[in-house]
Amino acid sequence: MPSLTLLAQSLIAGLMIGGLYGLLALGLSLSWGLLRLVNLAHFALAFLGAYLTYQLGTVLHIPPLAALLVIVPGFFVFGVALHWLFMRFQVTELASLLVTFGITVIIESMIQYFWTADFRRYDSGYGNASFHVGPLFVPTLELGACLTAAALAFATWSWLRWTYVGKALRASAEDPGMAAAFGIDHRRLSFLLSGMCAAYAGIAGTFIALISTLAPAEIWSWIGVIFAVVIIGRLGNPVGALIAGLAIGASESLTMAVVAPAWAPVVSFSVLIALLLWQPRWL
Amino acid sequence: MLLEADRLHIAYGDAPAIWDVSLQVDDGEIVAVIGPNGAGKTTLINAIAGILRIARGELRLAGANLAHLPSHLFCARGIALVPEGRRLFVRMSVEENLEIGCYPSAARKLRDHTLAHVYTLFPVLREKRNQPAGALSGGQQQMVAIGRALMACPKLLLLDEPSLGLAPSIVSQMFDIIREIHASGVAILLVEQNVVQAMDVATRAYVLEQGRIVAAGLPSVLLGETRIREAYLGV
Amino acid sequence: MALKARRYLGPGAWSAFAALLFLLPNLGGPAFYESFLYLIFSWVALATSWSLLSGYAGYFSLGHAAFFGAGVYTTATLTTKFDVPFLWTVPIAALVAALLATAVGAVVFRLRSLRGELFALLTLAVTFILATIILNTGIDGGGGVFLSGVALPALAPTASGTIYRLGLGLAVLAVALSYVVRHSRFGMGLFAIHDDEDVAEVKGVPTFRYKLMALALSAAIAGAAGGVQAIYVGYVTVGETFAINVPLYVILMSVLGGARHWFGPAVGATLITVALFAFTSGGEALLGRAIVALALIVVVLLLPDGIVPTLLRLADRWRSPERRRPAAELPPTAVAGEPPHCAAAEKGPAILVCDDVRKSFGGIQALRGVTLSVHKGEILGLVGPNGSGKTTFINMISGHFSIDRGSIALGSDPIAGLPAHRIACLGIARTYQIPRPFNHLSVLDNVALAASFGTLLSGRSAILDEAWHWLEFTGLARHAFDLPSKLNLHERKFLELARALAARPQLLLLDEILSGLNPAEVENAITLIRAIRDRGASIIFIEHLMRAVVELSDRVAVLNEGAVIAIGTPREVMQNPEVVSVYLGKAYAS
Repeated sequence: MPSLTLLAQSLIAGLMIGGLYGLLALGLSLSWGLLRLVNLAHFALAFLGAYLTYQLGTVLHIPPLAALLVIVPGFFVFGVALHWLFMRFQVTELASLLVTFGITVIIESMIQYFWTADFRRYDSGYGNASFHVGPLFVPTLELGACLTAAALAFATWSWLRWTYVGKALRASAEDPGMAAAFGIDHRRLSFLLSGMCAAYAGIAGTFIALISTLAPAEIWSWIGVIFAVVIIGRLGNPVGALIAGLAIGASESLTMAVVAPAWAPVVSFSVLIALLLWQPRWL
Repeated sequence: MLLEADRLHIAYGDAPAIWDVSLQVDDGEIVAVIGPNGAGKTTLINAIAGILRIARGELRLAGANLAHLPSHLFCARGIALVPEGRRLFVRMSVEENLEIGCYPSAARKLRDHTLAHVYTLFPVLREKRNQPAGALSGGQQQMVAIGRALMACPKLLLLDEPSLGLAPSIVSQMFDIIREIHASGVAILLVEQNVVQAMDVATRAYVLEQGRIVAAGLPSVLLGETRIREAYLGV
Repeated sequence: MALKARRYLGPGAWSAFAALLFLLPNLGGPAFYESFLYLIFSWVALATSWSLLSGYAGYFSLGHAAFFGAGVYTTATLTTKFDVPFLWTVPIAALVAALLATAVGAVVFRLRSLRGELFALLTLAVTFILATIILNTGIDGGGGVFLSGVALPALAPTASGTIYRLGLGLAVLAVALSYVVRHSRFGMGLFAIHDDEDVAEVKGVPTFRYKLMALALSAAIAGAAGGVQAIYVGYVTVGETFAINVPLYVILMSVLGGARHWFGPAVGATLITVALFAFTSGGEALLGRAIVALALIVVVLLLPDGIVPTLLRLADRWRSPERRRPAAELPPTAVAGEPPHCAAAEKGPAILVCDDVRKSFGGIQALRGVTLSVHKGEILGLVGPNGSGKTTFINMISGHFSIDRGSIALGSDPIAGLPAHRIACLGIARTYQIPRPFNHLSVLDNVALAASFGTLLSGRSAILDEAWHWLEFTGLARHAFDLPSKLNLHERKFLELARALAARPQLLLLDEILSGLNPAEVENAITLIRAIRDRGASIIFIEHLMRAVVELSDRVAVLNEGAVIAIGTPREVMQNPEVVSVYLGKAYAS
């Protein structure tokens, strides 16, 4: 049985990566929950954002925060365009899975074409900065990701909860016909949401660039965990996605410390399967 | 004339549901459309509310033809719907449901004032304002649905079977409220299966059977005829 | 059972083609071709097996790699650790994969709420878990498994030739199996499940069993393909075996070629393997992948059926339609030549007895103790205001819902609590208020399916005869080869009726069959319903059109708020003061 310090450190590491999970899961949860579309391309988009951050940072020496100024609006437009495609062809939920899979492969190929399959590490200068809390250390960048995730999750939640547009979105997701009877234009709202989700992917990508090593194939390794996080956190619930992310991250990390590192990938899926079998109404 | 429907033909999917129906509602009237189940009452009122497409015919509200307007623009013109089966947003709270009612910008400016009015009309809703709408009883949900429509400050209120699924004591309460709303100056088009209550409250009535208007006139006159009985009971 | 309208290549041509492929290694060409063709065969087997469940029944699986990987590692383990001769390990690999699939399916298919995307994700989860288990235990342990020392049986002049023939065998097996399933009763059931699983169950298709069988067959072939692949690559790792490639390419190939056609996935697999191969080096490989992905997007958006069905449809337009069985264009009322059996006056014993049936949903009591019985040969009208429980009651008799309390018996057999497909076989059939035909099956197949699963008839011609009979009876014979979407509402309602009748029910449940019809169509329908009764069926008939109820019913039962408040002859009941007050209020009743 590992020491308490090791466990505590694992917990912190887990929460940190969990924050990134939550950040990445946010956009997917919103589009799946409120628009009923499964956007597999969310991951490719995030990685595109990561590579763009890397490129802007290493070649043009533009700091990540400034890079966001380019990425966020750009990705917003991409999200709107993608949704236009879905509306134009009246794509079903299952078909959206296939189409976005195709888009993922295309984006991955593009990434590999420009940046090759080699691993890339963004040397942001923040590097391995961390600060100490007693015997434990907390990595700064990851903490930043965590805090950003929390901020975005709560901001989105508040937006959905308190603003008219947010309420309109929630009403439209439940009963679009009735919402229209009270003046809510489902089409326009869905474009807005689509753009937002793409922008969220871009923001997650920036942090991925700062924290992990990049390789095109890495896109696929996140899919499983994040889908599990999205479902466990309940579709369309931003704070749920955050909490599920933190929980999964922590469980994985503790499993690695207590059992063996290789068993970590099983955790999220086991939780997911257990949840779905025990509470099939979770969705 | 506030609402004029002129020779409407409405199809539900590819099934023709309403044939050649004309009716009018004037300011200050309560007009009832009664008829047995399957007559097409809900189809008719959904089309007037903009939820269903009108295949042929004209629909004029205060002179303007609404027949080809997209659904989400109907509300701003002054029509609000209390649909059959309530169709509340069950995961949202009572107050949020009411707020959806005043989404159109003109109504939104009057939100606080209208909300206070609705809570005066339905005091129990003020108590339960933060509960999810799905947790309320049938009668209370009907109140939320009516309140939601009132929040839109409509000129014309459309009510689709407000007594459906409600206990008899609550039904008479509901119709008292309908009278109150009417008294405040809103014109009402009411579709009902419950003949007695509807005829009691209406200033004029139409009888709909199998998608066609088979009788129209004053409630007292219609009640004396056998048409209604035949339509409902077949004998 | 599906009427295959036309064949472009007869069995002779296919056999010749297969024989030619078999003989290829003997021609002594470079080993490269054999290897390349083996790859195509392997993907053909994988894609075709995937579509058995996912294309035919519509349960999109993202976990094909799990079964493939199970096969790979079964062969790898058995040959290297237990010295089992390679050829034996292939059927064992198939068996292991099938067992895994059965275990997964037994759990997952029981959950009614787990449809669509969730099923897809769960299958993906199974893959990840299996991969992790294999990686972390002695089966692989992280270093991969070397099969280079394993002896290969000499099925051809060269090693690559042997592998080629094994691959060919698998591909032929997969495609043949797909063909056989497609044209069998099993395949028809799967297609029905794809279109509307609930209705399929109610028409007598054992949905749980069929889904499990399709999954197991699909997994078995994938497992066998995995076994052969292990020998082909010679060195297997968890990373390569369980990569996202397999499930995604398999889906791509099937969807591109046509997941619902037995040969579609084979075409898709060939096209994609060739396309991917054509761009081998560096940047071109990337371009190749991107183009393939673009092709998927285009196909999903524009050719949702896939290449093969689209091509076949286009080819059909060039030829004249196949000779149809000459259908006398009988209007529905012409049941000429069939003397009515039991006269309306003679009512037999009770065939359906419902005693104190209760049902609530959440806190709402839909049925508060319904007691009534239906006599043989009678038409019982069931009326009542909205929300009185009529449709719930019908749903309980047909097996959609379980009963809370009380009993329902058909003859002497209690049926409450039986699965819907068993009830269908016992002799109860129903129609739906809003018609729910199987949209991808022709009108004829819709009816044939009901005959096949609802009765004890067997043999293709007997079932088709039965289907044609009912199509003529309802006047739909001229639409036999059309898809239901081409029919208008009146015709679709009659299709519902034909489908229900094809099961030769003792008891027919009609749910608002007259709603939406114009007066002439209503007259037509009433005549038909009488004709049905005259042939010996008993009918429960929910309707709002009161005049029709009064005209047609022998007895009428009035439901209000979940209980029967009156039952008797139409005139009696509709003049009963309580009934009048329910509909029109107390004032009227007096």
